[in-house]
Amino acid sequence: MLVNLDPNDGRPLYLQIIDEVRRAIVVGTLRAEDPLPSVRELAAELVVNPRTVSQAYQELEREGIVYVQRGQGTFVSPAVRRGGSERRRSLARAVAKRALLDARRNGLGVGELVEAIEKAAAEEGEHDE
Amino acid sequence: MNEAFAVATHGLSVRYGRETALHAVDLRVPEGAVYILIGANGAGKSTAMKVLLNLVRPGEGSAEVFGLDTASHGPAVRAQIGYIPEQHEHDYGWMTGAQLMRHVAAHYPAWDSEYAAHLVDTLGVRADKKASTLSKGEARRLQFVLALAHRPPLLLLDEPTDGLDPMARNRTLAQLAEHLADTPTTIVIATHHVHEVESLADHVGVLRGGRLVAQMTRDDVRTTVIRYRAEVPEGWRMPAELRVASARRSAIGREGEWTLIGDRADVTARLTAAGATIRDVAPLSLEDAALAFLAEEEAP
Repeated sequence: MLVNLDPNDGRPLYLQIIDEVRRAIVVGTLRAEDPLPSVRELAAELVVNPRTVSQAYQELEREGIVYVQRGQGTFVSPAVRRGGSERRRSLARAVAKRALLDARRNGLGVGELVEAIEKAAAEEGEHDE
Repeated sequence: MNEAFAVATHGLSVRYGRETALHAVDLRVPEGAVYILIGANGAGKSTAMKVLLNLVRPGEGSAEVFGLDTASHGPAVRAQIGYIPEQHEHDYGWMTGAQLMRHVAAHYPAWDSEYAAHLVDTLGVRADKKASTLSKGEARRLQFVLALAHRPPLLLLDEPTDGLDPMARNRTLAQLAEHLADTPTTIVIATHHVHEVESLADHVGVLRGGRLVAQMTRDDVRTTVIRYRAEVPEGWRMPAELRVASARRSAIGREGEWTLIGDRADVTARLTAAGATIRDVAPLSLEDAALAFLAEEEAP
């Protein structure tokens, strides 16, 4: 699992870690029962406070995305499937929120944004399922 | 609210002759925090640490480490602290790294020789060389081992990555993150290289000319030191009550960019009420936020 943190992102670091785990699951690089790095491993790799990693793992556990096996570590839940619809919706919501923020920054309204997205997607030749 | 503080200073002032090193400083470092003390060279960071270690006496005010007054309980306080000083020279330069480790182990009952061996290995320390013959970087890494291996409840690190090449910097900071995972400890890092330690920090204090001009949690920095980009009408003036850290006006058009310190909702409301149309609101990295506090004009 590759995690990249951005100090200029503005979101708290633990949220960025959560989003990276969610993304890895939806994209398929993390699968059901895969182990997550230990808190100290990930903290050392990212050079972040271990509390930040703990916070992220606890939130993921609360959401049922991972589970903790005492003495063994943290693992991706068995219920997780690549492209699971709940997870995809959650990811889409996060993307939508960022897009809305960007739109507002540029003085655009929701309607204008939605219209522009549909036009851009049509130009690329992609269609929503 | 009775939060336990690892470090608390009360109106701490220190003068060297006519120079004021610290003025009325009220440091508050909660137990378990990773606290970054930011300031330019000469801002007072090293002096603050030396007071905590009772290497320097307060001129006015006082300092406590885990509730013990530093001036009257020097040895007891120092027994709980792992210290990396700003300078890399070792007091006992004629000793080898191994001898220094045995020397420190004798004074700190909590010395963990297995951990020391692991640190020597991970950081690439030359324990067989006399300390005075070590390069700046080698000396620094040895100081790391000596400070961390007895797992002290308080670590005071004064510019800990100074003198290390980029790879060694990353390795030592990663080791510090691991240390945090294994050891219940409080860490105070004095530095002006904020960027590389910002992901470790959860508290920050900013010293400017010996005064503590800001002290807050990392989360509070995110919510109160913010860059606003806005379109403003001709002849517009910034409301006087807002704390401006920096300002940029565009050469083209009526856009301006200001770093303001204050509650985001409140500042947004005041800017809008004054006639600004806000286009972008962005939190800053800890490094940029620190610069904002350091750049802030002192009130007349």
